[in-house]
This record gives sequence, structure tokens and C-alpha cells, in this order.
Amino acid sequence: MAGLELLSDQGYRVDGRRAGELRKIQARMGVFAQADGSAYIEQGNTKALAVVYGPHEIRGSRARALPDRALVNCQYSSATFSTGERKRRPHGDRKSCEMGLQLRQTFEAAILTQLHPRSQIDIYVQVLQADGGTYSACVNAATLAVLDAGIPMRDFVCACSAGFVDGTALADLSHVEEAAGGPQLALALLPASGQIALLEMDARLHEDHLERVLETASRAARDVHTLLDRVVRQHVCEASLLLGD
Amino acid sequence: METDTHIRADARAEAGPRSLGCSLRHFACEQNLLSRPDGSASFLQGDTSVLAGVYGPAEVKVSKEIFNKATLEVLLRPKIGLPGVAEKSRERLIRNTCEAVVLGALHPRTSITVVLQVVSDAGSLLACCLNAACMALVDAGVPMRALFCGVTCALDSDGNLVLDPTLKQEKEARAVLTFALDSVEQKLLMSTTKGLYSNAELQQCLAAAQAASQHVFRFYRESLQRRYSKS
Amino acid sequence: MKETPLSNCERRFLLRAIEEKKRLDGRQTYDYRSIRISFGTDYGCCIVELGKTRVLGQVSCELVSPKLNRATEGILFFNLELSQMAAPAFEPSRQSDLLVKLNRLLERCLRNSKCIDTESLCVVAGEKVWQIRVDLHLLNHDGNIIDAASIAAIVALCHFRRPDVSVQGNEVTLYTPEERDPVPLSIHHMPICASFAFFQQGTYLLVDPNEREERVMDGLLVIAMNKHREICTIQSSGGIMLLKDQVLRCTKIAGVKVAEITELIQKALENDRKVRKEGGKCGFAESIANQRITAFKMEKAPIDTSDVGEKAEEIIAEAEPPSEVVCNPVLRTPGTAQVGEGIENSWGDLGDSEKEDEDGDSDEAAVLDGLKMDTGIEISNHGNQDAPIVLSDSEEEEMIILDPDKYMKKVRTQTISTKQAAVPSKRPTKKRKKKRAVD
Repeated sequence: MAGLELLSDQGYRVDGRRAGELRKIQARMGVFAQADGSAYIEQGNTKALAVVYGPHEIRGSRARALPDRALVNCQYSSATFSTGERKRRPHGDRKSCEMGLQLRQTFEAAILTQLHPRSQIDIYVQVLQADGGTYSACVNAATLAVLDAGIPMRDFVCACSAGFVDGTALADLSHVEEAAGGPQLALALLPASGQIALLEMDARLHEDHLERVLETASRAARDVHTLLDRVVRQHVCEASLLLGD
Repeated sequence: METDTHIRADARAEAGPRSLGCSLRHFACEQNLLSRPDGSASFLQGDTSVLAGVYGPAEVKVSKEIFNKATLEVLLRPKIGLPGVAEKSRERLIRNTCEAVVLGALHPRTSITVVLQVVSDAGSLLACCLNAACMALVDAGVPMRALFCGVTCALDSDGNLVLDPTLKQEKEARAVLTFALDSVEQKLLMSTTKGLYSNAELQQCLAAAQAASQHVFRFYRESLQRRYSKS
Repeated sequence: MKETPLSNCERRFLLRAIEEKKRLDGRQTYDYRSIRISFGTDYGCCIVELGKTRVLGQVSCELVSPKLNRATEGILFFNLELSQMAAPAFEPSRQSDLLVKLNRLLERCLRNSKCIDTESLCVVAGEKVWQIRVDLHLLNHDGNIIDAASIAAIVALCHFRRPDVSVQGNEVTLYTPEERDPVPLSIHHMPICASFAFFQQGTYLLVDPNEREERVMDGLLVIAMNKHREICTIQSSGGIMLLKDQVLRCTKIAGVKVAEITELIQKALENDRKVRKEGGKCGFAESIANQRITAFKMEKAPIDTSDVGEKAEEIIAEAEPPSEVVCNPVLRTPGTAQVGEGIENSWGDLGDSEKEDEDGDSDEAAVLDGLKMDTGIEISNHGNQDAPIVLSDSEEEEMIILDPDKYMKKVRTQTISTKQAAVPSKRPTKKRKKKRAVD
């Protein structure tokens, strides 16, 4: 990407943010009535919707039931209109399968699955608009939806991406920054313990810089946590007001 | 009949030069080289190489279960891309050959699976697959009434007979014939042919394949002797 | 076939051993199993053995039109197959979660890290680019598939040579290996995956887990690096909780291991290049250790085929003469004809006819088998090519041959073969039918 300056000399990024700054996050819980839990999140221009059903009886073959914990089933899909180029996304292509797998893994680690043996929890996530950081938006939306469903978790799972440009680590990459081909890292964090539920990285980054990028990503994830926490508290307040307590 | 004698005279005249180009490429075989399958073998004929793994007798899917004998399955994996129609047809040929010799009645309601992986194809691929399958079955200890081997013959445009042809020879050939023969009576277990050839040529190829099969079986015997010898 | 479940005692035993810093194969915590790389005779073909895990890699190329949004870049395609040979639980042609995960990891490790210069694969911008396809087959599964597969992929890519091309105006000329030496791909760096298995909620860590260890582990962290200590991919999987320090420690170990493996790969490639240059023997036959008792080799064996002519002749002479029964065709309606009664189609049951053959016990069985097969399978060939010329009964022979010199021999041999075949099959009648149709 010749000519495009991702980080100006003054330390501003293409969309005017500072290196460690997040995009604007807006979230709502309980957007659907019929689901057990649901949430909608906007991170900048990335928009995602998550729906949770469960814990319920195992659907399909009973052989899949786990004797000691709940089965977490995640499905990821993205709307045809979610990206600039409109193309048909066949259901079950490698990328969305992988995303589903990663989400499942993240939530298997975070949900206290041993409290619901022989049952199943379904998490469906759809990306309505993709502008970078789809994985993090999906995780954050799903966390809110799982909380909305009242499923016990170890902690919030907060995800954020990070990149590395000209010796500076950037938090929460937008699509333009991702497309430039630099390294990108996505991290799902349990903020209270600082444990990493999922870590993935692409493209080349020198080993020595890894620590800084990791640090930036986890700080950003903690920031996300503060925001999500506020959303949850507000939602609970509203709900209790409606109940008339 | 007049036509008959003509052909025969022809054949005899050509018998001399025909025998010249006939030889088998160098053979190599390694057994028991994979740890997971019950039996495995890698068979090389010149640059053609096939790896075979055998699982069985083992649990069988209920839908595939046969009540009085073992279910024999053969899978052939091409080197590039996904298996297609050509592989399916070869799988069937190999499966029919194996079914004729494997004593499946001794293991009813089980499955015997032969998986073949093409490692490199430089002619006589089907024959090499058959040989690899046989060695892997032997390694797995599957009971068989006889061993079997595959021999490929090619007839070039001048009517010369080439045994164990290379890829180039196969391409130039007028007809390519592959036979599977058993070790006890040298009887034909399977044959598949491509191209044009006469009845006399077919018989010649078969006779040549029988002669070649002796060498292959001797190779089998020596390699097994080496493996199970005490020294 | 289902995977044999791991018993609780085995599981406990393995975990106890890991707690005591012992591994079943006698390795230390950070040891890799031995790596062996062997090359095939063709370019871009290799087998990588990591302990008992074995992966076959093959690279192939093809000229295709590029993707619309990347007009000047070649296409890289990776496909890892979990063959049933590797483990009985792998089912053919099923996209399991494991397969998706491994394939995506490979793609990310090798394509997204831009280890291959895709722009150099462009022949005519927007028109023709090379598509490089990497096929990997798992032959034996003994744990740590991803490391073995990533090594196999990069070795195969380094070993591969594509045909040379030249462009003049709009014309693309492709040169065969005889005309111009094939060209290697331009490879910037060699990313290699290193796997770390975590046990007991991340308390214990092992490098290069084998199959048994993989079955008791909590989670896996895969780090792809190159020898310049650049990280190309990180992926954690399984429900483990990592701490930042653990990740950093793993990258340090990965750096060391990757440097060792890269050196090994380069040595193997160099070795192969030298052997090829000197015109020595290469290929898998050479990589079979001769001293193993399970291996055996035989040199080129000449086969005495001087008597095949006589043998064939004998057999033909011994075979029964064809029956002289000639049926009159019945014309039911114009355009249809039937010979004999209740003609069956012999096309559908090829498999059955083969099975029947195997049971024959007379001396001529082999011969007849051959003939049957011949008529059974190859009818289409003869039918298509010779139908107008060949006739089953000899009195009509002269009428049909138009160019006696050219066809004489063919016709004669055909006549013989049909005569021989008359007993076991219905071929003559078939021919007749066809002829009728032609008329």
C-alpha cells in the first residue's frame, strides 16, 4: 500500500485516533425477545449481532452429549452486504468454519460448562457490517448475549485486535489498517485474572515486538471490559426498573 | 486355416526381437513402516511408488456389515487433487482381486480396509498398487488363500511386447494390459486392458505376465524370508 | 471405525508421567522427535517424518486466470488430506473440525506470511498467472500433524520447479523441461510451525506432543516462525487459559527450534540438489534403509519371454472351436432387430463376470478368463472401431473389406478372436446387430 500513511508523524492514525485508542463502542443487550439472550454491538463501523439459546437439552444426536459438562455450539455467519465487495458467501467455507471454531473455543474456556452437564448452549453470531476486528466484535457481542441469557461465566470475555506499524503498536485495527498487510493479533482476555482465552496472530512480526503488541491488545481489551461492564449494569438497572423493584 | 497359419508364422518370426526389451524395473519394498495401520507396505517399481496401509479385521459399520464374511474396502488416494472416477474404477479392480484371495469367511462381520496412496506415478501404477496391497495384507496377517501380484504389459505400435512399462512407454503403446495373477497356480485373477490388440497378442502378454509373476513372487518370498529369518 | 478411547488408567498414567517430567518416548520437555526428509524423483515431492508422524507433500502448478481483485498475483492453494491410512478414525472426504483448523493454519502460516512472492507468479497481468497447489497427505498420525505438515509444505515448495514461460506480445510459450530448465519459486522466508501442549490448566508444557500426549492435553499453542525470529502465526486452541509470560516463553523456545529445523531443511535440500547435479540416484527408493530387515530390494530383472509366442499359440490351438450356431435375426418393427431369445445386456455386470472367472478350475480357465475379460470389457472399443469391418462368419468376409492391404491383418486377427470368444460370450450376435443397424 504505497502512499497510504497509517501513522502520521504527529502520532495520529488514518481515522484520527491515537495509537492505543479504541473506536467508539455502542452496545445493547436483550435485543430479541424470543431468544434466551441476545446482544448487538457496534465497534466503529463493525456491527455484530449475537443470540444465545440454552442451556437446553442436546439437539440432534444424543451421542454428542458430554457427561461432565455442557456442549457449546457456535455458528458464525456474515451478511452478504457486510463487506465492500458483494459476493455470495457459501455457508460453511473454511474461514467461517474457523471463526465458529475459535468462538466455540473461547466460550468453552469462559463459560462454567461443568455446571450444566449433558446440555447444550448455542451461540449464533452474525456480522452485519465488517470494518476490521470482526472476531473481537463477535466475541464481545457473544459475551453480552451469554450474560443476558444468565449463563454462569468465569468472567467477561473481552476481545480486541492489535497491529504494529512503524515501531508502534496500534489497538483495535480498522479495515484499512488490516488490509495494509501488517501483522495483526487478536486476543480474547478474561480481564480479572489476565488470562488469555484465545490468541491468534497473522503475518510477520519480530519476536522482540510481540510483548508490546500483546500489552497493547490486553490493555485495549481491559478498556473494552470497562465499557461492557457499564452496558451490563445499565441494562440490569433498566430491567429492574421495569420489574418495579 | 490359411489366416491362422499366417499369423502364427508372423508371431514366431517376431518372437526373437520381442524378448529383448523385456525386463522388470528394479523393485524395492518396505513393510511395516507405518505405526498406526495393522499392516503397511511401500512398494517401488522403478520410479513408481505406492504406499499401502491395511486396517483389519476390525469393527464394521452396521450399514456395511456382511453376516457371513468380512467387508473388504479399498481406497485409492491420488497424489494431486481429490479421488475421481479413474481412482474409483481402479479401487474396484483391486478390491475384486483382493476379494478373490482373502479368506473373508474366517472373519465374518468385520471390515478389512486397504488404503493405497500413490506416492509417484511413473508407469505400471495399477500393478504397483496391487503389489503394495498384497504386501500390506501379508504384513497385517490377513489370511489369504494365495498371494497375488500385478503385471503390466504394453504393446507398442510395432507389436513389441514391453513388460513393466514406464509412463512414456505406456503413452506410446498401442495397448496396455494389466493382469493380476495368483501365486499358487498362476491363474488370472483380474485383467484390464486398454487399446487394440489381437487374440494372439493377448495370449502372449498373458504368458509373459506369468513369466514375470514368477520373479515378483520370488521377490515377495525373498523379502519375507529376510524379514522372518533369525540371522 | 471409531477411535479407541483412552482408558482412565492410561490417562492418569500419562498425566503422572508428565508431572514427573518424564515422557514415554524418553524425550526431554523441549525435545523434538527426529525429523527425516526424503525427496521423490519429480520436483516438489517430499516425505517428511517427524518421529512416526509422516506427511507426503506434492506441489503442482497450472496456468489459470487470476482473481478479479488481484490481477497481478499468482494463486496459492493448500490442501491437507487426512487419509484413512493415517488413523482409522479419519473418514474419507469429510470436513471435520480438525481438518478445517489445520488447513486454515497452514493457509495462514504460508500464504498470509507472504513467504512466496506471488507477484513473480504472474505471467500476463489480468490474463494468466500460475496457480501453485500444495497437496499434503497425512500417511501416519502420531501426533503433531501441523508441524509435520508445515515442514512438508515448505520443503515441497522449496524443492519445486515450475516450467519456464516466455511472453511475446499476447503469446505465451510454455517450455518443457527438455527445452529450458524449470525455474524454482522465489521464496522469501521459511515459516515453520512449532506446537506446545499444555497440561493441567497450563502448569506443564511439552514441545512436539505425540498422539498419546495430544489426547490428554488441555490445549495447544501453535507458533509459526522463521529463522529471522519473525512470528508468522500464533494460534491457541483448546480451552486453555494462557498467561502473557507463557506466550512469550513459548515464542523464545519456538525461535530456537525453528532455527534448528530450518538448518536441517536447508541441508536436506542442498544434499538433494548435489545428488541431482551429479546425476546420481534420487527418489524414494534410495531413502529406504537397506539394513532394515523389513526392507528388500531387487535389481532390474530380465524376463525370458522367448517362448511366449509358442505358449500363446498352444493355448489358442487348444481352445475349443467356436460354435457354428448362427441365429436368424428377428425383425420386430422397422429399425429394431433381435438375435436369439431373451438377449441380456452384458454391460452392467462386469464385476460379476470377474468374480465368476476366479472360480474356474480347468486348465484353460486362465485363457478363457482372458478372453472373457477381453470381450466383456473391451466390447465398446471393438464395437466402435471395428464394427463396420468385422463380421463373425467368414463367408461374408470378402464382401466388406474395402482396402485389403491395410485391413487384412486386423480383420484376420479379429476374426480369430471372435471365433474363440463365440462360446463364452454373445459377442458375435452383438456384432451382427450392429451391422444390421449400419445397413
